[in-house]
Amino acid sequence: MGSDLIGVWIAAFLTLGIMSFLYKDNPWYKFSEAIFVGLSAGYWFASLFWQSLHAKFWANWSPAVQSLFQGQFDYNLLYTGAGILGLMMLLRLIPPIGWISRWPLSVVVGGTAGLYLINYLVSNAVRQIGSTIQPVVTFPESIGWINSGGVIIGNVLVFAVLIVSLGFILFGRNTTIDLPTPTKLFFFLIALVACALGTFYSLSMPLNLTGLIIFMGVFCGLIYFFFSKEHTGFFGGAATVGTWFLMVTFGASFGYTVMSRMSLLIGRIDFLLVEWLKVVN
Amino acid sequence: MWRRTVPIMITFIVGTVLVVAEFIPHKPFGNLGEDFSLYFDIIAVFAFILGGGNLCRVHFSKVYRKKTDWQFSIVTLLGFFVMLAAGLFKIGNPEGIQGDVTAAGSLFADLYDSMFTPLQGTMYALLAFFVASASYRAFRAKNIDASILLIAAFVILLGRTPAPSLIADFFAGAGITFMATAFNFVPTLTDWIMDVPNLAGQRAILIGIALGVISMALRLILGVERTYLGSDSK
Amino acid sequence: MLRFKAAIFTLLLLLLFCLSAAAQTAEELSDTAALEEPVYEIPRLAQVTNFEAKDSPDDAGGEIELTWDLSVDDKKEDGLVSKYVVLRSQNPTSDFHIVGVANHRDSSYIDKNLKEGTDYYYKIVTFPKYQGEVRLTREEIDPLMEQYPELTELDIKDVSMLAEYDRDIMSVFDDNILGISRVAGPVKSRAQWFNSKDLDTLIIGLTICISVVIFIGMARGGRKLFLRRIGGLQAIENAIGRATEMGKSILFIPGIQDMDDVQTVAGITILGRIAKTIAEYDTKINMPVSRSIVMTTARETIKEAYLSAGRPDAYSDDMVHYITDEQFGYVAAVDGIMVREKPATCFYLGAFFAESLIMAETGNSIGAIQIAGTAMPAQLPFFVAACDYTLIGEELFAASAYLSGEPKQLGSLKGQDVGKFIAMVFIIIGAVFATLAALTGSEDILEITNMIKSWFSA
Repeated sequence: MGSDLIGVWIAAFLTLGIMSFLYKDNPWYKFSEAIFVGLSAGYWFASLFWQSLHAKFWANWSPAVQSLFQGQFDYNLLYTGAGILGLMMLLRLIPPIGWISRWPLSVVVGGTAGLYLINYLVSNAVRQIGSTIQPVVTFPESIGWINSGGVIIGNVLVFAVLIVSLGFILFGRNTTIDLPTPTKLFFFLIALVACALGTFYSLSMPLNLTGLIIFMGVFCGLIYFFFSKEHTGFFGGAATVGTWFLMVTFGASFGYTVMSRMSLLIGRIDFLLVEWLKVVN
Repeated sequence: MWRRTVPIMITFIVGTVLVVAEFIPHKPFGNLGEDFSLYFDIIAVFAFILGGGNLCRVHFSKVYRKKTDWQFSIVTLLGFFVMLAAGLFKIGNPEGIQGDVTAAGSLFADLYDSMFTPLQGTMYALLAFFVASASYRAFRAKNIDASILLIAAFVILLGRTPAPSLIADFFAGAGITFMATAFNFVPTLTDWIMDVPNLAGQRAILIGIALGVISMALRLILGVERTYLGSDSK
Repeated sequence: MLRFKAAIFTLLLLLLFCLSAAAQTAEELSDTAALEEPVYEIPRLAQVTNFEAKDSPDDAGGEIELTWDLSVDDKKEDGLVSKYVVLRSQNPTSDFHIVGVANHRDSSYIDKNLKEGTDYYYKIVTFPKYQGEVRLTREEIDPLMEQYPELTELDIKDVSMLAEYDRDIMSVFDDNILGISRVAGPVKSRAQWFNSKDLDTLIIGLTICISVVIFIGMARGGRKLFLRRIGGLQAIENAIGRATEMGKSILFIPGIQDMDDVQTVAGITILGRIAKTIAEYDTKINMPVSRSIVMTTARETIKEAYLSAGRPDAYSDDMVHYITDEQFGYVAAVDGIMVREKPATCFYLGAFFAESLIMAETGNSIGAIQIAGTAMPAQLPFFVAACDYTLIGEELFAASAYLSGEPKQLGSLKGQDVGKFIAMVFIIIGAVFATLAALTGSEDILEITNMIKSWFSA
């Protein structure tokens, strides 16, 4: 019980020490920071020593060496390679032959490059392209968020996004689409009428146009990332629309995270009030 | 040759083998990726001696030269060695040296619970404050991009709480049905933003990242990019 | 003042959080009362047909694929079938044990972790849904579970149902009570040398890689390639210049991952380029790291940059120092460095997690110019909100090639664009077919769509 109590008091002391940083840098924070850095570095080394060096290396390698002396080859003998590479890394401590540590580094970088190439090709590129291959117009039924007029709201939003995007591409500041203004206005009006009609019809006809927005977002987003072409003209307009989509994405994950971060603070306040001060039960 | 060509060749061979291995399920290629991570973990432990050594050197010299805040360097060193000893020798471990390093009751676990966890948790919790100050600054959106980010963030933030329905109830009570309907749509709008424009942006970013990674990996494997290897001379 | 406003804002958000938490706890739970029922009769369901077992294709061995046609009862709407239970033995007539379950309406199962080259036999049980409350107590079920560990594959309800019939549970599978298929086998598992399912991926990957290689070759051959400028990259030189003018240091954070993350590698390669400018300007660089291998690599990289800038004597190993592997311990120290040293410029280039905002906001509060770059989608919003420039995803990987100015590096960026072009073409073609299929309902067009989709279904 006594040691528990000391533990809680130490924890509270350090908790407040870190929090005091919000006011300004001070010795209390410096102390908590210093202890955190030292303690955690020691913690990581001790854990890595037992969990990687002992459990993954020694436990596999030493039996393999023993069985080698008995004349048997064990697949785990290949761990010798890892050990040698690890030791090569340490040669950095001997400056004249420190360059040998580049060899294990090359193994690491080569392996990382190979693994990432494949993993990102499959999970990010191929799969994302595959899931974007969707109809841009469907008859609604299958999407979860569609309820209580969600389709209509969705479609109105689609048209709004389309009109604003088109307007920007035609008249935006960065655009250099080389058409006389009346022609541009003509196109814009046609689009406006089309969208108005679309909105009108979508009230009576069950069409779901959200696929169009997804398509447009991915397409314009990719245009934003194009390096080979200057962001001017149609290309520039599309790229700007692409950045809007990126901003919505960023805003969405921002907004999504805020509440979970608040819960972290609640967690610490809970510790201080309940476990330490026992103010609340 | 040994300093530059060999490392580049090693990168090429290891990289190529791991790419090819992805398409070969048969032993020993099938789980080469996992073998690589194991290898890496082992190399990293050895390398830690360099990092830990550097940490000690920096703080020892701070104490020795009595630089500003040298007192705190003593605290860091103390923390490091106490935790290291507690972990390596499993001090106070109920099952002795054979036990799990994190076994309850050991000094290692006690230090972890009473010091490491609160420090870690509090540092993480500071995010609540920082996320608030970041949102506060975002409220003074300066251009279209920032405004879009702000609006999306605000809608999602509200949509994930019961606030919209409470506000809608308030308006309904006050007889302003238009506003009530509008606020009742916030959750729907939240879902729409998450499922439609957010998803599209997310996909564009992910496809872009994939192509960036592929091209970067190729530059590394082919030895076009070799900055990480450092210099030719000693 | 900002601090005060932000504090009020924090409180507001906290209030909002408590509100939502309170709303959640307000949800009530209702309890149900168990009723006495007569002994449960297990319905005998139709067995599956066309049951076959064969070696799983395209695997590393140790897997066998089972396929069957659904039980007649599973095609009905009454939902009598709850699942299919897979039994295995190394003997065609006896000693069958449960190895797994497939959901109802599923017609395949992959049995894993088998010995290569051993003969196996399989049976499939059409398992009925238990329509009632669990009537055995935990005390009655637990010993059974201990006796037959394989029962963990089933639900408590299922075990209770079987035990009600016979406490010697496994005998139920021998009696004629459940719908049990014929025995399939013998079958052996083998490893394959090529994964044919990956053929599409291989072709797509090869196309992208070859176009990158071709453009690298073209650039090396002296062909001029146009590339647009990226805002964040132009800002880098200005940021270094500002630090020089102010006589303050530059802080470089390569993320918190090790060299086995390609983002860290990208951060280090960018470091190589900007360290050269830093050396030329004679500015101070401070680089705290959280991984030992990153420390040694960064030292080599900076040393090389100083050397090629002609100032090897200005380099010192102290520029790069290790802090701790621990994410938040590292952040605590970096925050300390920021408020004490007040660097003029902060770079965050690499892989970041929750600590991104803690660092970027602290950097913001000391008025540093901040340039960030990461491929962590979840952290990008925070960098965008708190930094002056952010290299978004792909731009992080392209940055070092850009900054190098070497033709062959720039060529690889052209190759990337070809990849994007291919992606866009297939998205357009696929979307056109998919839309036509959805609007016309034509089976043929749907088939074409599915074919295109299947190329990208890795």
